[in-house]
Amino acid sequence: MNSPLIVAEGLVKKYGGVVATDNVSLELGRGQVMGIIGPNGAGKSTLIGLLGGALTPSQGRIVFNGEDVTGLSASHRARLGIGRTYQIPRPFLDMTVRENLLAARFSLHPFEAGAKAHLACNAILARCGLADVADLNGRDMPLLRRKRLEVARALALEPKLLLLDEVGAGLVDSEVSELIELIKSLRHDVDGIIIIEHVLRVVRECCERLLVINFGKKFAEGATSEVMASDEVAAVYLGTAHSDKKPAQPIGKDSGGLGAAKPSHAGAVSGLVGATGVEAGAATQPILELRGVHAGYGQARVLNGIDLQVRPGQVVAILGTNGAGKTTLSHVISGTIRPTEGQILVDGIDVTGAPSHKFARLGLAQCMEGRRIFAPLTVEENLLLPARSVAAHDRAERLERVYTLFPDLKKMRSNGGTSMSGGQQQMLAIGRALMSRPRMVLFDEISLGLAPIMMDRLYEALFELRQAGLTMLIVEQDVERALELADDVHVMEHGHFALSGTAKAIREDPRLRHLYIGTAD
Amino acid sequence: MLVSNIEPTPSPFELAKMSRFSAYLFLPACLVALAVSAPAMSDYALEIGFRLLLLITLAEAWNLLAGYGGLVSLGTASFVGIGAYALTGLMNKAGVPFYLAIPAAGLAAALLALTVSRAVFRLRGLYFTVGTLALAEALRMFMVNYSGFGGASGLFLSVDPPGLLDLFWIALAIFAVTSLAMTAATSSRFSILLRAVRDDEDAAAQIGVRPFRIKLIAFLVASFLMGMAGALQGLKVGAVEPYGMFGIQWTVNVLSIVIIGGQGLRAGPIVGALFVVLLSELLADYPALHLAITGLILIVVIRYAPKGLVGLFQRRQRALGGTQ
Repeated sequence: MNSPLIVAEGLVKKYGGVVATDNVSLELGRGQVMGIIGPNGAGKSTLIGLLGGALTPSQGRIVFNGEDVTGLSASHRARLGIGRTYQIPRPFLDMTVRENLLAARFSLHPFEAGAKAHLACNAILARCGLADVADLNGRDMPLLRRKRLEVARALALEPKLLLLDEVGAGLVDSEVSELIELIKSLRHDVDGIIIIEHVLRVVRECCERLLVINFGKKFAEGATSEVMASDEVAAVYLGTAHSDKKPAQPIGKDSGGLGAAKPSHAGAVSGLVGATGVEAGAATQPILELRGVHAGYGQARVLNGIDLQVRPGQVVAILGTNGAGKTTLSHVISGTIRPTEGQILVDGIDVTGAPSHKFARLGLAQCMEGRRIFAPLTVEENLLLPARSVAAHDRAERLERVYTLFPDLKKMRSNGGTSMSGGQQQMLAIGRALMSRPRMVLFDEISLGLAPIMMDRLYEALFELRQAGLTMLIVEQDVERALELADDVHVMEHGHFALSGTAKAIREDPRLRHLYIGTAD
Repeated sequence: MLVSNIEPTPSPFELAKMSRFSAYLFLPACLVALAVSAPAMSDYALEIGFRLLLLITLAEAWNLLAGYGGLVSLGTASFVGIGAYALTGLMNKAGVPFYLAIPAAGLAAALLALTVSRAVFRLRGLYFTVGTLALAEALRMFMVNYSGFGGASGLFLSVDPPGLLDLFWIALAIFAVTSLAMTAATSSRFSILLRAVRDDEDAAAQIGVRPFRIKLIAFLVASFLMGMAGALQGLKVGAVEPYGMFGIQWTVNVLSIVIIGGQGLRAGPIVGALFVVLLSELLADYPALHLAITGLILIVVIRYAPKGLVGLFQRRQRALGGTQ
């Protein structure tokens, strides 16, 4: 009983010449919860893939429960008791939520009585907060429900070891608390848990030990509190999120340009910002205005009367819990969802119901949630796409300016668009939005799933863009960062703005805390 | 709690009850009624009925592969052809009676599926589709060029084929077997595992499903049914030749039936076959027009009703249910 649950020795994973995992060893004792942290692209998900069996290691050995499982398939390991979740949820889309769990159940116990299997799955669904959607299809689940479904499906396997890959990304405080409660309660059913997470609260409250990975190698390991206090870890991963330091001073270390100090490029960047109309004396005319907008999907009403104005040069942030309607609102603004009532005006002209490309034509660019990088294209091709009808020298100039803003992209210009780390992909998505020289950009949850230090980098870029006079509309989970950047803030609840005002006023408003953190249930 | 943006859907229990009722009572009742009334039917009705039953059997089998298993195969013709040739060979050379030769022909087709499974399951998605198409074409070319099975002119059945009425009854029996197999495969826990593999093979493996085994079972069952249907066709025609039995028209007909009827839906193949056969009878005098119209219907269905006629009907029902 005292033998460790899982031991990995000298794991190496190579893709061609690229070493994704470089000689990583780890050991998890029974009853332990271990966290794996590290920058985006450090090889954390690869490590989970190696442990779960989706990937075969180039070298090394994995012993689970005293048995060498290195050569066993993912399916075999799953039946031995290794359950994993995917960072980007992969539910069975055309099956009901309950059937998603039953698939795991029936592969584990092929001849179990149907009623018993249903009972077991219902219990897991109730525990994961999915009981009310048990008979709906996986396809109809929004992202956060899909994340819960990932956990529920892994639990249906009655795992001894649970591998959780970023299940906390995109949750607001109250939801993170629910997740922490769930993980803590799982300790009684599961022999061991390995968590990959950027939400530091989850790591801090759930894990006894931490393993830090950087560039595929083990960077640090130890008790959670020690690792979190380490200066080296702060430099490669934690960034400023952990302390009270201002984001303007990233900590420079020899970490491959991850935190390299960078001068401001406000001058260069301003060339990416379209005419704002300020000089034309039309400052009172909003670029974008929504009047009493209602929208939804089929029977479900999601937006109930949104009034919004974005003036030239302004930065407007929209905050709110998950499910409040933020994503729907950004879809309405980008033209992918037609409002059922109300008007959308661009420069005072009614464009309600116009197709997406029309909005782009009017100088409204967007940086969508989930990044939407074109995988078959290279970084540079992705960037050139929105500027294809622009004169060659102008295009080259814009490209140069994006590269000045994000030097990482220049280094990887001929790489495939999705071969980069999450943070670099987000840079690419922002750079692509800027290439059309927009007058206004909609940023939808750009910090989702990013390492804290990467969020610092992105927000630095946004500050530069604000200085250059770019009008921005930001939909964001991270309240602190949004309040720092924005002029005006709206807090959304149940499809309408429950609280609106200047960032300064909102920050001091006690209702912010109440709305955003207190009443999520 | 989270607020979700989800359309309310009707209780699936009611739908399940309906399909269970139709599977256990309604369908057998229809079959018995057809079998009993067959002697009173005209030759034309029997001819149409035979064609309908044969196509439904093939379409059901293809629906199991493509609709439930995500294995979009263009290899239907290879299994139809093997079935027909196996029946002819068994009856000619070994004097096997047709009631044994038909299931044996099904087994021959399943054996072919088993043989090629390692190779074709290495391919996924579109590559699988192209792989099965290559299989069918390769077999056809082999049959044309290899003289051992009669070459391009084919083989004749040395015994007299059964009469039209008997053939209709055999078709009915094969259809009954097909319905039974499909009910077992689509309402059991096997169906859950199969659909999990269809939706995401890697994720299914990650929760313990053995994708290869699950796909193989579906492939074997479908090939067995297709082989029997091919054998029946061979028995009716009394002669087999490569261009007819291994022809791509089998593949295309079956595919259009399921797409028009509704992929992955239990009633899809029956509705699709009824529609296609009815259309071909109505336009029997205008063959060129018939092809053009079928093509047009396929395009319209794929564009506006991706779940076919049955899917369209279900959506309407759901919409009506929603407004109440």
